[in-house]
Amino acid sequence: MSEALESWFKGFLEQVRIRKRQYLLGALEIVLSALTGFLVAALILYFIGYDPWYIFEIMLTYGFSDLGYLGTRAAPLIMTGLAFSIPLLAGVFNIGGESQLYMGALLGLYVAYVTHNVWLGLIAGFIAGALWGGLIAALRVYRGINEVITAIMLNWTAYYTIIYIILVYLPNPKQSHLSIQLPVSEMISYGETFTLAVVGALIAYFILYYTDIGYKIRVSGANPRSAVYAGFNPKTAIMASMLLGGGLAGYGGTLIIAGVTGSIDTTMSTLFGLGFTGIGVGLLGRNHPIGIIFSGLFFAGLIIGGQWVELLTGAPPYVTDTITGIIVIALSMPYAYRLLMNYVGRLGKK
Amino acid sequence: MIGDILNLLSNTFFSMTPLLLAATGEIIAEKSGVVNIGLEGIFLLSAFTSATTTWMTGDPLLGMTIGLIVGLASGLLHGVISVYLRGDQIIAGVGFNSFAYGFSVLMMIYLWGSYSNSPTVPKLGNIILRFGGESNLTIPPTMVLSLIIAVVAWWFLEKTPWGLKLKACGEDPRAAESMGVNVFRTRLYATIIGAGLAGIGGAFMSVGWLGSFSRTISAGRGFIALADVAFANWNPLLAILGAFIFGFADGSSTYLPIMLQKMTGRQFTAESYLFLTIPYLTTLVVVVLIMKRVKMPRALGKPYIKE
Repeated sequence: MSEALESWFKGFLEQVRIRKRQYLLGALEIVLSALTGFLVAALILYFIGYDPWYIFEIMLTYGFSDLGYLGTRAAPLIMTGLAFSIPLLAGVFNIGGESQLYMGALLGLYVAYVTHNVWLGLIAGFIAGALWGGLIAALRVYRGINEVITAIMLNWTAYYTIIYIILVYLPNPKQSHLSIQLPVSEMISYGETFTLAVVGALIAYFILYYTDIGYKIRVSGANPRSAVYAGFNPKTAIMASMLLGGGLAGYGGTLIIAGVTGSIDTTMSTLFGLGFTGIGVGLLGRNHPIGIIFSGLFFAGLIIGGQWVELLTGAPPYVTDTITGIIVIALSMPYAYRLLMNYVGRLGKK
Repeated sequence: MIGDILNLLSNTFFSMTPLLLAATGEIIAEKSGVVNIGLEGIFLLSAFTSATTTWMTGDPLLGMTIGLIVGLASGLLHGVISVYLRGDQIIAGVGFNSFAYGFSVLMMIYLWGSYSNSPTVPKLGNIILRFGGESNLTIPPTMVLSLIIAVVAWWFLEKTPWGLKLKACGEDPRAAESMGVNVFRTRLYATIIGAGLAGIGGAFMSVGWLGSFSRTISAGRGFIALADVAFANWNPLLAILGAFIFGFADGSSTYLPIMLQKMTGRQFTAESYLFLTIPYLTTLVVVVLIMKRVKMPRALGKPYIKE
């Protein structure tokens, strides 16, 4: 066992040695993007009369102080991050993680409520998300429709339809702004919620890097033509990646229900935006399941921190959305970092 | 009945205007090879800045001008990222949408202390055709402008040498370069102009149509405009038809429940949410029905790398 570990570690070091420059660039990208996000947010905060340092101090200390809560809030973000990144590896832009998460939350809640079994709920959530994501993939593969358009249309359709379903079919008799509520005794703990998210990410890691279909997903995204030459159909990879990604988003939706809220509110405020933040999570995690666990924690900290900022200073929590947006824009241009590194490298040689 | 049809048609004229402006702009940008899915974000930012300007100065026309400038500036940012920094155009657009949402809502709360919408601001005037009684047809002048812009864009793209050069950048940038076209600069300008048109559309939403800014003001319309581009097969004249169809669906999602309530005497509550899905489902179905036949610019979304 220890020998196997040792050889794995040696292999890892070898990888680092060979790809030093690549890893360095990756690290530079991550750090600079996050810094750019904070810098722009600081300018905006300063402009509207807040002390950016004070706000960031609150965000970064309060946001990351309660680790149990941090892990729980990160759970759905890790899932929507994977929902974006896995299809991206296959060359598809899944910006429908938002509604795949909604569908999972709705069906997961219903099944868990009816069967009194959270585990069945999680399975139902996965299936609901997978089908909703599979719809986008099917339209792309069989009708050639751009997945970005389909995803947004499905997001809004799901948003309004779910509000309707909750109001009409699943209302809470005691609180009119909520859906039916899972009893606290049937819900799972914060620790379990995060653990289940990590398990999901590890399964995704295993599928992507140690199975046939995972290999196909990665190859058809990197080079669709060579996938065809290698004798497999990129369409299968697209379908598989969207089923898996959508399923994980749906699973993440059920995780919120089972671990945090126990119900859905009629304005969907606890679910809204998680799918879109997931795009930032996936990209900052460099589309790697293990990286996504950490970037999920990072973004969850920002979100919790943003809420503390609002509580303590009255500054709106939307600072977090703004930072996320800037980070994603900054992550869209790896070439810019290569230019920067070359430039710095030349300076060093002079 | 005639009154209802005229009202529905008036609603359509309002909702089709931002769609047509943004779709025409996107066609220009995409024909040059740059895809900008940040239309939603441009709508939000322009709607916000034009509402703010109008709120401060009381002049909706100035508000619209500022909305246009914000659109142009967004296009400059996206153009530089896509053309010179070889960024991933889809990801840059997604990030821009997220930023625009966060920023405009943040500023809305800062300026007006409201989490849902701005105070009402003065609006641009409309052309009202009277048909006797209560039957009026309301036509916003910006809608007429959007029609003119679509026709001019078509003429520019299809009938002028500049249009040919622009399209060459989107079809085969290497060939365009050897023809003496500056691919980088053409793509940058096309992106800026395209985003500027979306900026007018966003500004129209707040100062021409709704009279205030709200956080859900665009509600996916930027993406409906993208669907219109595909529907139109990258032809601005067909985009007019698409904008009318999608605008009609949008208009009916708010007008249909009002009409049905009047006719049946029933009060809708939760059902109104179902009506709100009409524009998205219509867009989806229409795109599913026509999509097989479209042909997009060949170099669309791919950064051009000079040797």
